Amino acid sequence: MQTQVMFYLLEEDAKHEQVAEQSHAHACLQAANFYRQNQRVFIYCADQQMAHQLDELLWAFEPDSFVPHNLPGEGPKNGAAVEISWQPPTNRRAILINLTSTVPHFANQFSHIVDFVPSDETLKQQARERYKGYRQWGFQVDNQTAPQQSKSINALQSS
Amino acid sequence: MTLVEQAFSSSGILAKVLNGYSPRQAQIDMAIDVERAIAQKSCLIVEAGTGTGKTFAYLIPSLLSEKKVIISTGTKNLQEQLYHKDIPLIRNAMATNTQIALLKGRANYLCIYRLELYVKERGQLDAAMLTDFVKIRTWATSTRSGDIGEIVDVAEDSGIFPYVTSTTDNCLAKDCPNFDDCYLVQARKKAIEADVLVVNHHLFFADMALKDTGFGELIPKADVVIFDEAHQIPDIASEYFGDAFSTKQILDLCSDVMQIYKTTLTDVKQLGRAAEKCQKAAQEFRLLFFHDPERGNWREKYAQPRFKQAFAALKTDLDFLYQVIKLCISRNEAIDNCYDRAVDILAKYDIMANVDIDGMSFWYETTRRHVVLHLTPLSVADKFSDYIAKSEAGWVFTSATLAVNGGFEHFSQQLGLNIAKTKAATLLVDSPFDYQAQSQLIVPRYLPAAQHHSRALALAELAIPLITASKGACFLLFTSYRMLNQVADILAEKIESPLLVQGRMSKGLLLAAFIENPQAILLATASFWEGVDVRGDKLTCVIIDKLPFASPDDPMLQARCEDVRRRGGDPFAEIQLPQAVIALKQGVGRLIRDVTDQGVMVICDDRLVNRPYGEVFLKSLPTMKRSRDITQASEFLTSLSK
Repeated sequence: MQTQVMFYLLEEDAKHEQVAEQSHAHACLQAANFYRQNQRVFIYCADQQMAHQLDELLWAFEPDSFVPHNLPGEGPKNGAAVEISWQPPTNRRAILINLTSTVPHFANQFSHIVDFVPSDETLKQQARERYKGYRQWGFQVDNQTAPQQSKSINALQSS
Repeated sequence: MTLVEQAFSSSGILAKVLNGYSPRQAQIDMAIDVERAIAQKSCLIVEAGTGTGKTFAYLIPSLLSEKKVIISTGTKNLQEQLYHKDIPLIRNAMATNTQIALLKGRANYLCIYRLELYVKERGQLDAAMLTDFVKIRTWATSTRSGDIGEIVDVAEDSGIFPYVTSTTDNCLAKDCPNFDDCYLVQARKKAIEADVLVVNHHLFFADMALKDTGFGELIPKADVVIFDEAHQIPDIASEYFGDAFSTKQILDLCSDVMQIYKTTLTDVKQLGRAAEKCQKAAQEFRLLFFHDPERGNWREKYAQPRFKQAFAALKTDLDFLYQVIKLCISRNEAIDNCYDRAVDILAKYDIMANVDIDGMSFWYETTRRHVVLHLTPLSVADKFSDYIAKSEAGWVFTSATLAVNGGFEHFSQQLGLNIAKTKAATLLVDSPFDYQAQSQLIVPRYLPAAQHHSRALALAELAIPLITASKGACFLLFTSYRMLNQVADILAEKIESPLLVQGRMSKGLLLAAFIENPQAILLATASFWEGVDVRGDKLTCVIIDKLPFASPDDPMLQARCEDVRRRGGDPFAEIQLPQAVIALKQGVGRLIRDVTDQGVMVICDDRLVNRPYGEVFLKSLPTMKRSRDITQASEFLTSLSK
């Protein structure tokens, strides 16, 4: 089956001092949505620090939007519903949420990939490269504006 | 405005007696619901978060109703607080003449007969016990209530108390020469006459199940029954609706019979022989079980021939002892008492030999010297709801920890409060505390798995910065003694703070030492904290090694799970999870007890984060600020201890 990639275009948002935070928050929301649909998700981070930020963000979600997740080395044998890592995946999952600046070499293991186009120029350029990269793998790539979720993000995060 | 609303208004009873009182809707809501339950003689379940003022919310409508009220609470300490402090406060403000009484279990009252007996017999006492005994004798000359709780300078767990208090087995009841002066009898008389009676759950259910006979029912019929700390009652109720057969009872009987043979009935040689034989059989029965104390399934053991045979042999010797005692009936009070006990033991024997009844758990428990066989009903819902339906009283069940996932199904199902005839109204009253600002819930990252050899070291290393940051004032709670001791040993080498370790001194002493010494760290098992009340910065950090799921080896739990499975249910969701949720809620309640309390709870169990049921825990716990970053916790604690 052809892998489907969806890029979400993030609009400039004055509330987020750092562009990175914006994509992190959207990544968490996506993970939460997939979890509610009983899908297993792999969130791929650039480094351990970023993974910890994601971990912290998901753990602080409102209990109603609870997302069971783990870092590498934690959790049940096959990982929790959502795994956050800066290392390649060790078990099979359908959904990849990519937060790194390149196309991961294991991207073709997934049937769905979520990626982001931040508003920052440099990051936007990197996203364009990834867009091309995914196309070269032969994936079906689409994009859409990220849902206006700053409200729902605030609602989801308890702090 | 009703009387109750008036009482809680800014010009009402509470405003009169409490400094700086301002009406709070949550408390008023609860009081109004209690008032309704009393008026309609219906059932009400209320979870009132810590700090809502639930005590006054049930006391005021109860006292205003001018009906006969029973208040049952979890511990003797809470009983005393109600009796000596809270009720008198309200009663004085209302300027009524309500009669209040306090009734505790039999073991709390001095037995004059046994005290004098002891003076006469001069049993062997070591120095410490002798000192205690002298103190008790001095106190006994001046006490009015005979409540041994008045004695402050003898340790609660002193070995002397069994010699100066009575049990149902050794109480001579109406035949007692001191019957007219008996403190227990007097306390019970007062209880019957009182308008408001304060008891505890153990006493209430012992009485309901008619387990303490000899006096007939001691808890009078009431119009209003209120259970505080109601989360404890399903377990306590099952205990009393069950039965127990213990080799200790047999050995006690045997030694009393031998005593009688040596002193008064010296002519009946068979008495001595029968008692000796029975004693031996009981001891041999204990030897069949493992040396180390354990709990297990009695049905399974009884299916093995060697257990069945030994148990049958015990019966033969019990029967023989019974026959011999029977021949001596009416020769003196003491032997008559032994006869009653023998009959009772034989009846219990038959219960434990009939393991085929459904709906019951048969389990055993061993101590170094004794075996106790237990029969516990898997559910008390039928019996309890029948009792309520017949009572024509209003029933209120309240606690800070009853709801799981915002609902009361788990609790009401256990007590049969979910069926038509006893359908309870429910109310959830939120705590006024700002848990987001006052507290943090931390689940540390990358902890070694529960069975990993480096686990103890990892826990100790994680605890050290927290202990340093909070400058003591820390509880470390464990689900096993093994882990407790391992961590204690590591900490002893690495930190200066005084360590208070459960098992190395009594619970009372541990707590007293903890409160006295602000630097101290207390290491205990997870069940330790229930009922512990440490306010303010005495306790700012609680570290728990695992989520408090009950041990899967517990025979009672196994039987309940099996029962749920047979009905096609999910035992984890229906039993284990709700029970662990309540236990954890209790723990959080110990940490934050006041608007000014602040603290950190560290749960070293990442299942809370990575299992779907984490959601149930989070939805049931107060909304503490959550983090997985242990340095955040240290910073928070440092900011508190400045």
